[in-house]
Amino acid sequence: MEGGGSVADPRADVLLDVHGLSKHFGGIRAMSGVTFSIPKGSIISMIGPNGAGKSTFINVVSGIHLPDGGEVRFQGEDIAGLPAHAVAARGIGRTFQLEELFGSLSVLENVMVGCYTRGRSGMLVCGFSLPFTVREEKRIRDEAMECLAMVGLEARAHDPISRLPLGERKLVGIARALGMKPRLLMLDEPAGGLAAHEVEKLIRLIHLLVERGLTPFIVEHNMPFVMSLSRWIIVLDEGRKIAEGSPEEVRTNEDVIKAYLGEEI
Amino acid sequence: MSGTWRTKFLWIILVGFIFAIPLVAGSYVISVMCFIAMFGGLAVGMGLLLEQAGIFSLAHPTWFGLGAYVSGGLAVRGIAPPWLGSIIGAVFVGLVSYVIGAPLLRLKGYYLACATFGLLIIVEISLAQLGSLTGGHEGLMGIPPFSVGNFVLETDRHYYYLSWALCLACLWFLYNLMGSRMGRAVKSFSDSEVAASSMGVNVPRLKLKVFILTAMMASLIGSVYTFYLRFTQPGIFGFPLLVELVTMVIIGGGKTLYGPLLGAFVVMWLRELIHMYLGGLLPRTSAEVDAIFFGLLIIVILIFMPGGLAGWIDRFVYGGRRVRGRPQS
Amino acid sequence: MSFFSQVVQYTLSGLTAGSIYAVIGICWSLVYLITKVLNFTTGEFVMLGGMLTWGFHSAGFGLLPSLLLAVACAILIAIILERVAIRPVRYPSEMTYMMITVAAASVIKGVVLLVWGSETRTIEPFFGTEVIHLFGATMTSQVLCVFGLLVIVTVGLSLFLNRTLFGKALRASSINLTGASLMGINISRFRLLCFGLAGSLAGITGIVITPITFTGYSIGMLTGLKGLVAAIVGGWTMTGTTAAALILGLLEGICAGFVSAGLKDVLALLVMILFLIVRTMKFASRLGRDAR
Repeated sequence: MEGGGSVADPRADVLLDVHGLSKHFGGIRAMSGVTFSIPKGSIISMIGPNGAGKSTFINVVSGIHLPDGGEVRFQGEDIAGLPAHAVAARGIGRTFQLEELFGSLSVLENVMVGCYTRGRSGMLVCGFSLPFTVREEKRIRDEAMECLAMVGLEARAHDPISRLPLGERKLVGIARALGMKPRLLMLDEPAGGLAAHEVEKLIRLIHLLVERGLTPFIVEHNMPFVMSLSRWIIVLDEGRKIAEGSPEEVRTNEDVIKAYLGEEI
Repeated sequence: MSGTWRTKFLWIILVGFIFAIPLVAGSYVISVMCFIAMFGGLAVGMGLLLEQAGIFSLAHPTWFGLGAYVSGGLAVRGIAPPWLGSIIGAVFVGLVSYVIGAPLLRLKGYYLACATFGLLIIVEISLAQLGSLTGGHEGLMGIPPFSVGNFVLETDRHYYYLSWALCLACLWFLYNLMGSRMGRAVKSFSDSEVAASSMGVNVPRLKLKVFILTAMMASLIGSVYTFYLRFTQPGIFGFPLLVELVTMVIIGGGKTLYGPLLGAFVVMWLRELIHMYLGGLLPRTSAEVDAIFFGLLIIVILIFMPGGLAGWIDRFVYGGRRVRGRPQS
Repeated sequence: MSFFSQVVQYTLSGLTAGSIYAVIGICWSLVYLITKVLNFTTGEFVMLGGMLTWGFHSAGFGLLPSLLLAVACAILIAIILERVAIRPVRYPSEMTYMMITVAAASVIKGVVLLVWGSETRTIEPFFGTEVIHLFGATMTSQVLCVFGLLVIVTVGLSLFLNRTLFGKALRASSINLTGASLMGINISRFRLLCFGLAGSLAGITGIVITPITFTGYSIGMLTGLKGLVAAIVGGWTMTGTTAAALILGLLEGICAGFVSAGLKDVLALLVMILFLIVRTMKFASRLGRDAR
């Protein structure tokens, strides 16, 4: 592992390449000139104090916000400025800090929406219930059950979302994002509010996903979680990247310590 | 799979019931049931937009009216036979709803409601003002009856089967749609547009598609309506119809597809009862007076039974295990 | 009438209407900003003001007593509306409130029709039927009352909201309801106050305009709607609403005079729709995807 460089592992394929990415809301510079790469198969985390721009980063990359400057390349293709559904179609999945689950749908149906890009039936085909769509529906249902099984929630498939505790809701969010069989999965504060055993379960899940060929990208607050999971960490503060490196490097970096102002890392 | 067998069973019962009614009932009942099919069909579309898709469009009566005027107008001038006029009307409405929907559907909830409400009034007033084209306030008269080839639909019974066939066809189509991938996508964006688009749903495009689809259905129903009545007036397609449809959606419950149809059944028969028994007591009966009862009923239902009749039935029959409604935020 | 006089005439009638729309728009804003309820009964209260005054007057009361009784009734009805239809709602959402107030408006309209029939009614102008001449155009003294009403309402409300403690509390609630209630402000009572105030203002507006435009069971909807348009285009602020309303009234006056009276109602609604569309287009290009 190269130390102190700007790329975690220059030998691996670069999945996501971000260069000089900026975003401001009115007068607030939420993100300025963020530059780094995510190689395939790595587990990279982004940390930073509150308001550092971490969620903004995910929102810009996933297409919820338009960037004000910079480049975003996914598998070599320029995706900056694409709307969210187009970004999703290219293989980038994400979860939300506040879950954003679909309350009118059951758990399984939520995950099936995640599988939306896996289907092709249009309005007319669905409306006339043609055999093609019936077959596709069954396939999507099976795929969704698989995703639910991966996070261990098959038993809750037909429950309404409102009945689920926080930990399970977060897992449904992950299962839903898995539905589109993404190459890159951006997790926005996945460990937020979770109990210790749930965090362990999450770590095991992430390792499992990496084995299956998925590249997770984790935005997090929870230090022990991040330190034990990632080999490479990006640190953001007030919209700027202030450090990048292995957990040891980041832990001892002066700028990082200053940014957190005495917080235990 | 007991769910689907139960659903199929209910469908068969419904269709059988509808089919059997004209065999035993008189002209009056058949006529009322005709209107239930038509307004119920409209209410179902509106309920879908309002409650399941979260699209607060109040323009539904407009599509109904435009369909009626286009097909009726073409038929009365001998330009197109009723069946063709109906299709032309639907296509016309499809285009208009596309042009209007594209900019308007970007508006947030209540702003969309205001804008579509404005549209409703504008079209109603315009239809009344463009006398030469539309017959002005009196509307179009002497519209020929619906005919397919040599077979002319003359009796109430004919229109009963026609209107119910159309209503049930729309209902069947919408049921398939909402139970499918597209239906899930629609329900998803009404809960969270951000999450839905992050899952690959092209939300603006899908909103427009649903909008156009329900508009075209309303247009077809409007065509059947005008060939049944043989005349049409701008006053029919304005605010009073909107209130009536919303009443049906609220009373029946908009979270399910059949709710508004049930609501239509209740509202129309309730109105007949009011006219029959209270007509003598009240100095006058008219749409506005009916509105007193329906307004009060809406308020009561919204406060005490927000899910409407269908919501209550669902809880009763499915014991609350079926997912209906949103968690309170 | 010379062309210039015609312009003055239409301008006057337009500004008169505009003043009415302004006060009505303020009624909409008052309720909406603080309670988040789009109160569709606002227009009906305008109608009620005139109808009730006529009702009491033709029952034998003098003009001033009828006026006061009418306003008192309007306040009472507004209170009943809030207590019976708004407060008990268990799952409040903007759409639910909207549907409830639309339903309540239908009820009010229907009852008025039932009680007083469908003929248009009127009341005498407050200060007699003298006619004032201005550049060849004529206007009645009632028009001055309308302008006076606008001035009193805007200045009065302004002072109330900015100078009094109560008014400031009201403004605080409109910005942050939870924060305000945590400070000890009784939200429920505020809502009642807003409804009552808006109801009475709308009623007074109706009374003032009745000698000019007459009143009838059905005038509520369009008039109320135009007030809503003014409020939306004006961004729910008092100055914005007033400006938007006056401009709208002017446009209507000119349209009615030089184009067609029948289509003037369409104008207001077109304005609203175009405004809403342009607003989203301006936003949608950049900010639409930012306004999360």
